[in-house]
Amino acid sequence: MLDERKLSAARKRTYGIGLLKGMAVTLKHLFKHNTVIEYPDEKQDLGPRTRGVIALKEENCTVCMLCARECPDWCIYIDSHKETLPPKREGGRPRKRNVLDRFAIDYALCMYCGICVEVCPYDALFWSREFEYAEYDIRQLTHEKEKLSDWMATVLPPPALEAGAEQPGQPVAATPAAAAPAPTAVAPAPTAVAPAVQPAGATTPTPAPSMSAPAETTEADKARLPAPPAHPAPRATTDPEAAGRSPEVPTTGQETVLSDQEKAVYQEDPGPNVDVPAEQPQPVALERSEDAEAVYQQVLKEQLDKGSSAQVAEARARVARAKAERGIKRGPTPLTVDKPVPSAPTKGAPRPEPSGAPEAKAPQPDPGPVAAPAEAGAAGSDEAETSAPAAAKEPAAEEPPSAEPVSTPDPQAAAPAVGGSDETPDQVFERVLQEEKAKGSSDAVAQGRAKAARVKAERAQK
Amino acid sequence: MFELNLSDWQILLVKLGLVLAIVPAITLVAGYAEHKVMAHLQHRLGPMYPGGFHGWATLLADGLKFIYKEDIIPAAADRKVFSLAPLAIFVPTVLTVLVLPLDETLVVEELDLGLFYLLAVSSISTIGMLMAGWSSSNKYALIGALRAAAQLIAYELPIVLSAAVAAMLAGTLSLNGIVEAQEWPFVLWPPGIGLIAFLVFFGAGVAELTRPPFDMPVAESEIITGAFTEYSGMRFIFSTFFPEVANMVIISGVATTLFLGGYQPIVPLGFLDAVPGLVWFTLKTAFMVFMLLWIRPTFPRLREDQLQKFAWKFLIPTSLVLILAAGAWVLYAPEGLK
Repeated sequence: MLDERKLSAARKRTYGIGLLKGMAVTLKHLFKHNTVIEYPDEKQDLGPRTRGVIALKEENCTVCMLCARECPDWCIYIDSHKETLPPKREGGRPRKRNVLDRFAIDYALCMYCGICVEVCPYDALFWSREFEYAEYDIRQLTHEKEKLSDWMATVLPPPALEAGAEQPGQPVAATPAAAAPAPTAVAPAPTAVAPAVQPAGATTPTPAPSMSAPAETTEADKARLPAPPAHPAPRATTDPEAAGRSPEVPTTGQETVLSDQEKAVYQEDPGPNVDVPAEQPQPVALERSEDAEAVYQQVLKEQLDKGSSAQVAEARARVARAKAERGIKRGPTPLTVDKPVPSAPTKGAPRPEPSGAPEAKAPQPDPGPVAAPAEAGAAGSDEAETSAPAAAKEPAAEEPPSAEPVSTPDPQAAAPAVGGSDETPDQVFERVLQEEKAKGSSDAVAQGRAKAARVKAERAQK
Repeated sequence: MFELNLSDWQILLVKLGLVLAIVPAITLVAGYAEHKVMAHLQHRLGPMYPGGFHGWATLLADGLKFIYKEDIIPAAADRKVFSLAPLAIFVPTVLTVLVLPLDETLVVEELDLGLFYLLAVSSISTIGMLMAGWSSSNKYALIGALRAAAQLIAYELPIVLSAAVAAMLAGTLSLNGIVEAQEWPFVLWPPGIGLIAFLVFFGAGVAELTRPPFDMPVAESEIITGAFTEYSGMRFIFSTFFPEVANMVIISGVATTLFLGGYQPIVPLGFLDAVPGLVWFTLKTAFMVFMLLWIRPTFPRLREDQLQKFAWKFLIPTSLVLILAAGAWVLYAPEGLK
């Protein structure tokens, strides 16, 4: 609540005293000791939790892809392949594990949110305080795993807990040996990777295959290893049951749950593993394929049918119209049931076409109307300049239907300016000029459009 | 020793050459002072690198950079007017220096109508601003130019009126005459009239310089240096930085001349007469420049209507009343007090 008295005091006329007070403040600063840190010469001791750069502890990474999936900027690239390992013991099942091939963070995209570091279940990502890795070339900002691993040297040990703080994640019954690695309850380590989780066993660059594991396993692992034979493959469905049935061997229950998790993790992997770059949101294709007004009506109707309130329906319809006017294809908005892919060709789009302009749906071949304004602008000599925007809009969407709706039934060929394969640019120019004249466009407009068409044709030839 | 026999026009040429050399030099010094003083007022350091010692060569480096920059004239601009505009702003600035008495005899040309000349010449730059803004064919430039014209004209009035008060009290329009007519304590006499006239002059001067808090014509965060949005390279320097800083010094010099006793010693003590008048003039001007520098980082920018209000509703009526008061003082004050 604002204090009315304070407000009225603030409103009171002071006849310039406030100005003098202000000047006194700045004058005081003139004589104060300056505390500026002159950066390149003098460096500040940054806080221990500074978000400078993300370091990768490669041997801890299990290619679980959590970081890449959680990254809001999609700036983590991970490639891996599967390796089949021989069974650990006679008659066992051969096991599969992922081997990290590529781990890269594009710091040109990264927004330093730290979600990847938070989300990493195996402590493979860390914040480092280093921040001086500017580059002259943006491509250099993509740090591959070697560089990311180098940053590990700059990672500080985690700050000490406050006095009396609860020790995080330590199971009460933990053996003294198990205290060192990451708490098993929180981040259960698959046995194959277990040695790598141990700081002591971090000698191999990639997670060591289990054959070499015994050499470096700690007591905890040794205790765990003999356990499976006792319970060959219990595949306990629930943890408490397992624990209840075999209280004398607590590790067994863990072990089975572990393998389940392991499996789950591995099953989830392959998809995103391969598709990460492909799934990156691509720029929505700018295709001028719909009549804005028709889109408006259609969306309005759809929304009303769906039971949206009149306001909502109108707003969504307006948005759709604005997008259509700007030439942005309707993306997978909630309006359509079939969820078309935004970048997919419009031909197969399940959504009903607007009644007004069936011809207009002809999808453009590669050059597309995105390039059209630029081309028109390039073509724009003085007299064409005024009509350039119009010219850019027209030839793609409206001209073909009006001019030769019969001769171009194939939507692919519907853009004569671009796709006219057997015409020379000059012919295109003449033809478009005639068409425009026939349509009754003014001289300047016709000239401009024809020129734009010629330029496009020239480009297409090249 | 040898006798130099120079004709009048030769002497004039030498003087002009000196002015053309000294004005940029003073501008550089004042510009550097502006960087550093403003920085420290804001608890910063300001430039520290160029030149080695506290960045003394910053402005030289800046100047060099601007010389090397491309001189861009927009395609739609009126080329002639566009390229002449910086001259129309820059030349009057230099011309005003010609009549400022730095010392009893240290003045390029002592005019009987010195004050009149000064005020007349200094208002030419308004036209330059309009030229720049109009010829750029840019909306920001146009808005900036119109704002500048409105502001410069509005604040021209209080400047002229308060300068008229000084002239009335001195009984002459010659700047040397005005300095000579002032006696200690300069601004404070006649009581009230002098001080208020000085404050009006100073406040209007800040606005005339289009410096914060009256920098709407160049407001970089809203209209991108206003009339000079399209300027680059040396044209930019000669239309914005150079006139602004030079004018800052000149306004301070004029205020010193009109109200602070010019080249006279600060206190009328016999032994201070030995110090050359140039030193006193420089000291007083430097003080005034510091005041201007001090104001800039302290106050936020006003709104356009507040600015006009301040001029038309406060400064102009005040200075009109001052003129009446000065006239009354000149006519009716007892002989002993004058």
